[in-house]
Amino acid sequence: MTSFLLRRLLAAVPTLVGITALAFAILNLLPDDPLIAWSPGGATASAEALARLRAELRVDHGPVERYLDWGLALTRGDLGTSLRDGRPVGRVLADALPWTVLLNLCALVMIYALAVPFGLLGASAPGSSLDRLGSRVLLAVYALPSFAAALLLQEFVAVRLGWLPLQGVVGRQAGSETAGLLSHALDLARHLVLPTLCLALAGWAFVARYSRAACRSVSGREFLAVARAKGLSRSRAYYHVAANAAVPLITLLAGIVPSLVGGSLIVEQAFSWPGLGRLYVASIEGRDYPVVLGLTLLGALLVLAGQLLADLLYLLVDPRLRDELLMDGLDA
Amino acid sequence: MRRGVPAALVLLALLLFAGCAPAPPPGSRPAAGLPGYGGRFVYPLRGEPHGLNFVSDGDVLSSQVETLVGDSLVDLDVHLKVVPRLASSWETSTDGRTLTFHLRPGVRFHDGVPLTSADVLYTYERLIDPKSRAIGRLDGFLPIEKVLAPDPLTVKVLYRSAYAPALIAWDVPILPRHLYEKEEFLSSPHNRAPIGSGPFLFSSWEPGQRIVLRANPDYWGGRPRLDTIVFQIIPSQETTLQALLAGEIDWSTLTPMQGQAQATGAAFERRFRILRCEALWFYYIAFRGDGSNPFFADPVVRRAVSLALDRAGYVRSILHGLGRPASSPFHPAVGGGDPDLPALPYDPGTAASLLDAAGWRIDRASGLRARGGTPFRFTLLVFGGEPAQTQFSQVAQESLRRLGIEMAIEKLDWPTLWSRLQKGEYQAAFSGISPGADPDALFSMFHSSQIKGGQNYAAFRDASIDAWFEAARRTLEERERRALYQRIDRRLAELQPYAFLFIPTLQGALSRRIGNAEISPRGLLSFYPGGAALYAEDGDGS
Repeated sequence: MTSFLLRRLLAAVPTLVGITALAFAILNLLPDDPLIAWSPGGATASAEALARLRAELRVDHGPVERYLDWGLALTRGDLGTSLRDGRPVGRVLADALPWTVLLNLCALVMIYALAVPFGLLGASAPGSSLDRLGSRVLLAVYALPSFAAALLLQEFVAVRLGWLPLQGVVGRQAGSETAGLLSHALDLARHLVLPTLCLALAGWAFVARYSRAACRSVSGREFLAVARAKGLSRSRAYYHVAANAAVPLITLLAGIVPSLVGGSLIVEQAFSWPGLGRLYVASIEGRDYPVVLGLTLLGALLVLAGQLLADLLYLLVDPRLRDELLMDGLDA
Repeated sequence: MRRGVPAALVLLALLLFAGCAPAPPPGSRPAAGLPGYGGRFVYPLRGEPHGLNFVSDGDVLSSQVETLVGDSLVDLDVHLKVVPRLASSWETSTDGRTLTFHLRPGVRFHDGVPLTSADVLYTYERLIDPKSRAIGRLDGFLPIEKVLAPDPLTVKVLYRSAYAPALIAWDVPILPRHLYEKEEFLSSPHNRAPIGSGPFLFSSWEPGQRIVLRANPDYWGGRPRLDTIVFQIIPSQETTLQALLAGEIDWSTLTPMQGQAQATGAAFERRFRILRCEALWFYYIAFRGDGSNPFFADPVVRRAVSLALDRAGYVRSILHGLGRPASSPFHPAVGGGDPDLPALPYDPGTAASLLDAAGWRIDRASGLRARGGTPFRFTLLVFGGEPAQTQFSQVAQESLRRLGIEMAIEKLDWPTLWSRLQKGEYQAAFSGISPGADPDALFSMFHSSQIKGGQNYAAFRDASIDAWFEAARRTLEERERRALYQRIDRRLAELQPYAFLFIPTLQGALSRRIGNAEISPRGLLSFYPGGAALYAEDGDGS
């Protein structure tokens, strides 16, 4: 088991190097000027003022040398300094990371909590009108782009009905000294609903379709008919279907984590959520290279962690894989 | 450090707006505890400020917060006129080389330490130190020879030569020397938790979320009427308007489209007041005129293209009437232009004959104009992040096609567009600029010393324009100075190094809860007293 983990982790190293080197290369291909992070925007500035800044910021090193410098500093745990606000990149990321993790975990729970029962229901009566209706609803939801979903949710739930806050993570009156911890948590939960829903929408349809297919393929298998014939109760049969259908759903998990992180770009922007996605957009627009690289590295780590998690879950639900691993271990 | 405003064009445009009416001077207000005091104002910021170091962080987002926390010697009022702030008075020597400020006595920083001329001197020293990476606020300080602080309430500024726009540069908030001199300037914790002497105290900054300011009860100008100003960071324009409608914020700018579609109706009017003002902003097309392309080194060609642009039509169709066609770079709110100079008309007929005369004749085979076998075919760079800019380019493309000119459009993000302008790697580009509150700011766009590494993107070189800009900078006599700028205006109209197009009207909706609001061409909060004068109807007197 330990050697399995170790092998997995080692295999991740070249992937990380590859991803960051590629990101670095792309950033260096952009036809611009390091000065842009300080550019006066639309205001006027003289050539003298710009020249002084250029001299102060002078980057004498070539891109390869700068990449190596960056990598070397990284081994010491130093991600560099944000060009935009002068803070250590680690601090900048640490401010945003919890918000994105929170949002994505909630979305993940919402996706699976809704999609798996939906899929089971569809699989239990394939072709029924309920199944057909469900499929259509899911398709419509899947096709809805998240920026449009965000606007619709905001317009109806927050503006017209006024049920939930529309954006941000704290309410208008929150932050006052009188508010207790519980009311803060409640306030945050209310702010979480719309972005979570919006982020979950696309994944929801996807996972529901997948789990329906997985359940159907399992429920048609002979072992289930045999077990039922031998007197297995209906509820126990459901358990076996679910356990067998879980394998493809775990595969899906590995794929859905990166797509959620990607979806955060739009959702966080639309809901003023102070997470990594928004930071990514702002850092690319402001050409804050150290932050962009830090975010790329962090994103890659999250994706790899998702895959590792999926691998571990396989072992948990599938005894066959455990056996294989054991054999591998014996071989080695 | 740090000043890159990402989508600067959209950003600046959206931050500004409105109505313009005189405010009561601060200092005349009653003390706290009376009705009309209290309440909060929630104002949306399009992005996160880079920092709140008054010297290093001069970007448009940071400045809006800094002008409330800090105090500058002078400031601009709602009409862009210079008004006293920390300096109660000033005088300029007859040779124009010495500017003497007299500071208001008894002013204290938020930590209780008195603000003196030593702090002004320190702020100046930091501004001109390249290590501070100041840029937006630097230009007015470069001509200074030295700054003296003969006594705690007097600051003497010596300029190397007479410098007409001297005063306006001193709208930089004054840094507390006693706090900064102990620390590494760029990484000081005060850069994210500033201490100034302004009407509001910094309270908190939650990254990515909001910055909260509280009223300074001891402000020399009287306690502001609001208790709290919250700068809520909302990156999306759509979300900003929705948040206003949901009552989460008190102000939202409105795009022309939003103004027509969403910000109308009796229910809306009951809750919100629309404010409009011509922005301190210009849109223009820059023509790279250094001979790197076969078209735009010739002023006749530039003039022809400029005449072929239907400015009034664009304002009507793309901006829904929210703008003013303008062919001069002298902004009406700033002045300086020649009032008798007629605006450039939309005249495709004259444009065609000018092009014919310049040798660009229609080639029967292709239908395009050509000269010596070179077809008139060029690329316009445009910022792709704002739909109105793309739409404008497409309409202009059609206007030019009818004239026999083929214009391709290349959409770019702002950093790429900016660096291609800087490097001169373009033929023509649609962009915008905030011209500054003194006509001297246009020096950066037109003087030939500003071609290399500066903002004279057109690579425009004209000896008389150079000489007049230099003379105007040294001329203190107001009428003489105006005459120089009027000459510049006339010559620019003739040479058209840039085709100036229009000034957008900026509009926004303000909650009726908030009173005493005025709008300057730079924005709702970017003038004095601005946010310090606002009050909330539901303020409870606390």
